Amino acid sequence: MFGAVIVSVESAILPRAWRFDGVSVAGAFAALICTAPALAVFAFALAPSANETSLAGNLMRDGVLGTLALMAVGGGGAIVFGASTAWLVTLCRFPGRGLYEWLLVLPLAAPSYVLAYSYSSLTWAGGPVPFPVRGFWGAAFVYAVGLYPYVYLAARAAFASQSVCALEAARTLGSRPAKVFWRVALPLARPGIAAGGALALMEIAADYGAAQHFGVTTMSTAIFRAWYAHGAPHAALQISALLLAAALVFLFVERRARGRASYAGGSTRWRPLPRYEMAAPLAWGASISCGSLVVLGALAPLAWLLRLALLHTSGDLGALAEPLFNSLLLATCGAGITLVLAAVIAAAGRRGAAGKTALFAAGMGYAAPGAVIALGALSLFGLAREAGWVGGFGGALAVGALLWAYAARFAAAGAQPIDAGFSRLAKGIDASARTLGAGAMKRLLRIDLPIAAPSVAAAALIVFVEILKELPATLILRPFNFDTLAIKAYFYASDERLLQAAAPSLLIFLAGLAPILVLSHGLARSRAGAR
Amino acid sequence: MSEACSVSLSGVRRVYDGARALDDVTLTAPKGQVLALLGASGSGKSTILRLIAGLEPVDAGEIRFGDELVSAPGRTTPTETRRVGMVFQDYSLFPHLNAAANVAFGLERSARGEAIGWLERVGLGNRANAFPHELSGGEQQRVALARALAPRPRAILLDEPFSGLDPVLRAELRETTLDAIRAAGATAVFVTHDAEEALLVADRLAILKKGKLLQEAAPREAYDHPANADAAAALGPVNVFDGRVEGGAVATPYGRVAAPGLSEGGAARVVVRIEAMTLTPGTTARVRDRRPHVAHDLVRLEAQGLVWLALVSPRAPTTETVDVALQPSGAFVFSG
Repeated sequence: MFGAVIVSVESAILPRAWRFDGVSVAGAFAALICTAPALAVFAFALAPSANETSLAGNLMRDGVLGTLALMAVGGGGAIVFGASTAWLVTLCRFPGRGLYEWLLVLPLAAPSYVLAYSYSSLTWAGGPVPFPVRGFWGAAFVYAVGLYPYVYLAARAAFASQSVCALEAARTLGSRPAKVFWRVALPLARPGIAAGGALALMEIAADYGAAQHFGVTTMSTAIFRAWYAHGAPHAALQISALLLAAALVFLFVERRARGRASYAGGSTRWRPLPRYEMAAPLAWGASISCGSLVVLGALAPLAWLLRLALLHTSGDLGALAEPLFNSLLLATCGAGITLVLAAVIAAAGRRGAAGKTALFAAGMGYAAPGAVIALGALSLFGLAREAGWVGGFGGALAVGALLWAYAARFAAAGAQPIDAGFSRLAKGIDASARTLGAGAMKRLLRIDLPIAAPSVAAAALIVFVEILKELPATLILRPFNFDTLAIKAYFYASDERLLQAAAPSLLIFLAGLAPILVLSHGLARSRAGAR
Repeated sequence: MSEACSVSLSGVRRVYDGARALDDVTLTAPKGQVLALLGASGSGKSTILRLIAGLEPVDAGEIRFGDELVSAPGRTTPTETRRVGMVFQDYSLFPHLNAAANVAFGLERSARGEAIGWLERVGLGNRANAFPHELSGGEQQRVALARALAPRPRAILLDEPFSGLDPVLRAELRETTLDAIRAAGATAVFVTHDAEEALLVADRLAILKKGKLLQEAAPREAYDHPANADAAAALGPVNVFDGRVEGGAVATPYGRVAAPGLSEGGAARVVVRIEAMTLTPGTTARVRDRRPHVAHDLVRLEAQGLVWLALVSPRAPTTETVDVALQPSGAFVFSG
């Protein structure tokens, strides 16, 4: 298996052998580090094993059905919510439009498990809301209101980048708004919606915390059940491999759709989009719809967590100090390591075929659910221990494995904004530096990275918060008794101690808001001429 | 001090997606001289610069710096070790570095003093701490020039370096640039689509069209003895007439042009520079239009349905019909 990987990496490099430089080699190496756990899952899952097959079969079937059903209902809801709000906000005029443009992103701050804990206690018997949010429909609801921003962002970008001319042409041809939407805007935005939808579905497939809390058997929860309840690591690996394969399909769909979306524009003339004036009842309807989504996806659960935390944790703050410290420590170290790898991969990605392969390979880690990456890393450590390279899986080693898993999972999330920053460099800049005698490393350190510094900072923030929110990989790989905020929230919620879960959940939620507030500022201005 | 060397291409070909961007181009920039590459967009002139810089590989042929082979199929000395300086059309200054740091980038260690010396040479000694976005277009161009010259390159390549500037600034900057290049004793390859600029600047002139070299010569030679009709047209406005050789000459509606060396009865193309038309009062052609053109008058003539242009002194006759004499120094016949 690894032989094959090395061959494929080499064959990607060799055609460009005359541009074989330090950055490309480092990029290939970084990509290998980031993809090793995912590749290990495939390798170990395919290896023959004892009699766990039937167990894997049953668990796998239940998990696949649960995941597919959640994707259909929760993912479908997210796609409808995301696409329709994107259309309203981009192409219509209604009260509060400008505010909703970025408020609608807020649900991204909360991981699904935090929403799940909040809604569980909000609709608890005796809680203020009489409709219980639990079970399958609870999970689907949480995904729909929590993940629609993925679709919203991609669809909004797609709507916003549409040729004004095409939309105006449709209007001069006498099309009413509804017809323009169905016949022109929606078909043009379809690749964007597909890309965002694939991301949302990927998140549903990867989610462990919410599904586990609502008691739905999905592929992610099946992995844990096989591993912990049944002691069947090979079955867990097999389910992981299937989940990973599915995630890769979504990643492929997302990349393809996004690639096509970038061609959809056509017109280079940037003018403020002509927005439809809506009749008063319709306009208020639009405003209320967008408002409800913001409330359901972010404000209500946030307010409820805040209330619980203020009411019930006052005496308990000391217990949070250590998990908070651990979370910050892990996120800082993890973000540092991940960022170095991400920067190297992104830099290599600009230098031809080998780097592009590295960039795509790192995307594989991003698609892989945390549980899968953790199992892969754990299996590799098991192999190393059998070979006598490492000792027992103790504290330091576990932290090392955990940081590795974070890097593997989030290197692509970091590489993407850095790559975007690099792509703003004029082509001539690189050529200039080369004619002035600067080698690959000097160009990276003295030109590329300083110019892309704002993007690197954004990437650092994103990765830091992603690690802070990460639950399943941390759950599997953390050293014994090493609790983070996510772990604390998870264990409290598992014990039905939702009141205690509120404070750590709230902290995670608030941390998640930071990158959104910083980045949404840039997003709103991503369309030239927008105010 | 300078280690300038000649730059020579022989039989160079470059293919993009199956189309030949350059085909069998052979030319030399002599050591310490300025070679101008003249051509319309798509002629391959910028591709030649990128090949000399090593930013792209050659598909056939070779490029040498002096005796050193730097490009051949399957073998491309990396740009960063070629020691060429390049001034890009958009200048490509590093946006996060100030003028002095831009110039010092290619120097060993951080030689700020030396960098400021180069900025002074291009008249920007007082702008050393300005960032690129604080500089005007002309200032950016001069920083880019200083940056390219500072590491004492073996050759300096200029890709339409004045194209974004207004005409007055352009002339001024051209002088500054040439003075700096000559003072540095550098070999220069200069790309332009402006014939006047090429004639003004070049020691040697290479005229390109659609990836092929039409002519390489000294400017005077190229202007007075074009190798073919396209080369003649590339250096200034011309009148064109397609006809046949009869009695050792081609008869145009405006007069006969001798066709030495062409076979009798063969198809021929006559090319006459517009300033090679001398007008006298007469009856051959009708004056359709007459307009001032800088120091001359531009006259639009019609004879036997064929419209030609003439560039004449404002003191030339202003009658409604004229006779035309074609001066042999500006009238050429090529086999058609």
